[in-house]
Amino acid sequence: MTDRKNARLAALAGIIIFVSTIAVLLARQFNLGPERPAPDFRTFGPKTAPVQIYEYTDFACPACRHAAAKVDEMIKIFGPGLRVSFKHYPLLRIHPWSFHAAAYADCAGEQGKFREYAALLFETQEKWGQAKEKPKEFETYAARLKLDWPKMQACSEAPETHKRLKLDMAEADLKGVNATPTFFVNGKRAVGAGQLVDQARKFDNLLRAAKP
Amino acid sequence: MNGKLEPKDILGLIARLAVGGVFIYAGLLKALAPAEEFGYAIESYKVFNAQLSLWAAYTAPWLELYAGLLLAAGVFTRLSAAFSGVMLLFFEAMLGQAWLRGLPITSCGCFGSGYGNSLAHEFTQNLVFLALAWAAFKYGSAYSADKAVETL
Repeated sequence: MTDRKNARLAALAGIIIFVSTIAVLLARQFNLGPERPAPDFRTFGPKTAPVQIYEYTDFACPACRHAAAKVDEMIKIFGPGLRVSFKHYPLLRIHPWSFHAAAYADCAGEQGKFREYAALLFETQEKWGQAKEKPKEFETYAARLKLDWPKMQACSEAPETHKRLKLDMAEADLKGVNATPTFFVNGKRAVGAGQLVDQARKFDNLLRAAKP
Repeated sequence: MNGKLEPKDILGLIARLAVGGVFIYAGLLKALAPAEEFGYAIESYKVFNAQLSLWAAYTAPWLELYAGLLLAAGVFTRLSAAFSGVMLLFFEAMLGQAWLRGLPITSCGCFGSGYGNSLAHEFTQNLVFLALAWAAFKYGSAYSADKAVETL
């Protein structure tokens, strides 16, 4: 009798464990978990915006450059209806300097110039993206934007900076991001600028309602 | 099915649901976030190295989730309650040593990275959950799967 009872309970435990595991894995894939906030310097738009976009991007990826221009355009058009949070997903295997670029961009952000530095990195990605040695462009752009270079260098090597980048990458992996740029528009996945615009259109009524 | 419930049975049921619920919530929050995030939180206790912390971060959320679900449903209630109690004791030891050493921990990692109570607060809260886990162990059989299976 006890054996039978234990067998039934073990079966029930197995079912509970199996179902909960599948549910959590699906929830991860469908992006149902809480979104980690991006630092303020790489978040644009009001907190209360009805359309929230999380963008996973790589500074050396041409499609990301194209998408960045699209995102800038959307921010201009929809203003307060949109909040864009920028997250790093450097593709380390094909872009050897992307991680460094992301770290420098964050450090520029700490000095108040993330957007400007990021724009320069995107514009000139062919120059530094596949460089054999550490690209000089990182320093050149810092000088052009009148940023404190020694401070940026120290910041780019700081464990805190690396930790922030690695968490962005880990989060992207968890969500099954495997291409850049990947967007989550109010939780819905979009890969590339084309899908981003398609997704954003689905929230057109929200965006227009919030238009100034 | 369970006849008339006595106050201790009600206490046991509430304790089982409370501890089970907290474990489910804590496990889910962490299982849905990158393991590295919880790994960094574990590392900040300065007990395990980075690699071990990451392994702990990969496994602990799932153990919490399973223990919480089994306890709340009352499957192997005593075993689930004992296992939850052992986990709570372990968390308590981690929190206690960090508190005594005055480690600068801003997020205990208990409910994901966004949760930032003081170590003293978490330590005290865990004591309450430990007491509840004991109540669930002792009196948690009401409306449990264990009981339901007995009557089948």
